Amino acid sequence: MERWTDSSARNRREFIASLAILAFVALLPLVMGNEYWRGVVIVSMYFAMLAAAWNLLAGYTGQFSLAPATFAMIGAYSTGLLSYYYNVPPLIGIFAAIVVAGLIGLLLGRIVLRLTGAYLALTTLSFAEIMRLVISNSIDITRGDLGLNVPGLFDDRLTYYYFMLAILTLTQVGLFFLLRTPAGLYLRAIRDDQIAAASRGVKVVLWKTNAFAISAAVSGLAGALYGHFAGLVSPELGLIAQTGIIISMAVIGGLGTLAGPLIGAFLVYVASEYLRDFGGLQLIIFALLVIIFGRFFREGLWGLFSRYVLRTGIRRPALKDAVPEK
Amino acid sequence: MPCLVIENVSKSFGGVRALDGVSFSIDDGELVGLIGPNGSGKTTLINILSGHLAPDSGRVLLDGNSIEGLPPAELARRGVMRMFQLTRVFPRMSVIDNLMVAGCALGLPQSEAEERAWQLVEDLSLTRVAALDAGQLSGGQQKLLEFGSCFMVPPRIALLDEPFAAIHPTMKEIMAGFIRRRHAEGQTFLVVSHDMPVVVELCPRTVCMNAGTVIADESTRAVLTDKVVIEAYLGGAEI
Repeated sequence: MERWTDSSARNRREFIASLAILAFVALLPLVMGNEYWRGVVIVSMYFAMLAAAWNLLAGYTGQFSLAPATFAMIGAYSTGLLSYYYNVPPLIGIFAAIVVAGLIGLLLGRIVLRLTGAYLALTTLSFAEIMRLVISNSIDITRGDLGLNVPGLFDDRLTYYYFMLAILTLTQVGLFFLLRTPAGLYLRAIRDDQIAAASRGVKVVLWKTNAFAISAAVSGLAGALYGHFAGLVSPELGLIAQTGIIISMAVIGGLGTLAGPLIGAFLVYVASEYLRDFGGLQLIIFALLVIIFGRFFREGLWGLFSRYVLRTGIRRPALKDAVPEK
Repeated sequence: MPCLVIENVSKSFGGVRALDGVSFSIDDGELVGLIGPNGSGKTTLINILSGHLAPDSGRVLLDGNSIEGLPPAELARRGVMRMFQLTRVFPRMSVIDNLMVAGCALGLPQSEAEERAWQLVEDLSLTRVAALDAGQLSGGQQKLLEFGSCFMVPPRIALLDEPFAAIHPTMKEIMAGFIRRRHAEGQTFLVVSHDMPVVVELCPRTVCMNAGTVIADESTRAVLTDKVVIEAYLGGAEI
């Protein structure tokens, strides 16, 4: 019989909440016939995958990367270039996107292995800008800012909708099970204290690079799917502003939680659609929200929901438990 | 037969010579105390033995195999488990998960690691807080938890750096009792401590360091009455 700890119960609650959110999204087309808004939800799902992938790296492993959008761009260009030059079928292109983004993520993970905090963030930011500029300026190959036209996967938006939903659900299920394995223990241990993790026998180098690779591969998958949905891949996918949006989704929703990035992705992207007319103002609003949540509500909206609605926030030991038993 | 051999180990930090040709060995199943005034090099030595520092010169042998310079994770897999002077636990993970990290990383199947973790929290009187996140525990409970992590898989040698510092006497007794039981079963220990009554009670043999060198290495009673040790520790007053 499984004996519950606070962290395993929390993990399961977050997973159930994730499934509930995804079930709600699955039912939305029944009442939302508008093609434009279906498109908005599809793009929200793209961002939800990116936020979940970044959350694995930053929220669960403690590696603050500023390159999630870059890996989406790498994934999109992997399938885009294969399709544009060699007529490779989209599904093979999407598989290639996962592999290419994952391998580059593995390489980046090795390069930044000994970096933490601001140095890690700045190095990944430099990598992100270099990649974007290389793609943007390799006009003979990538057509630069004009972008590449890529074929669609399906003819109608509803099929896209449920395909993206299925992939997003698989991503969440995958993350849930990953976190329940020893690998999940190692990642969280590295996040909390790398030195202690190493002295308990955790191969810190291996698991940090694995986290980079998995996060990059999922981002690459998301980018490839988005590229085929939009019919165009361009360097704009890798803009630092896109990374800012992904981070704001994870932080507002709840960093280091399974449900948080989902909540954040849908809320932030749908809100950004409503705020579109205000131009740059939306970025200011999201930046302010990130500061407020980062400063006062570290577990984000999901944390607030857990604490005040589910009443299952972090438990403090009872006084009798704080003193020795013998 | 020696479990651990330290041969002429030296380490400098800039102009400071923290260890200067330290040599001693620990036999299989021995429980050795390591004492010395602050700055004598005890923690530097533990850092070298556990792979957190590489020595400038000298050798460290575990069961006859050279281990100096190996990374901490590799040493943990070879059975060198270490407890830190300043407690290191995973604050956002439950007590059970904290223990399971070591269990799984050292090769136990997940279900076995979980069973072992529940057994250990019982042995260490942490059952009532086992489900809580480690960051919610008192300082003493965190120390007990870190201590327990060293024994998820029976180590070849446990290096305990100040395990009894700043904890409740009852917890100290729980830890000391655990050490006594394990020692009786043949577990090898090196215990760094300033807590002389506990060292006297637990450790048949004690090594004393001062200014990066070993100044005494004999039975604990003999070490504590050694004039050089008394001079180094208290400038002449009796311990």
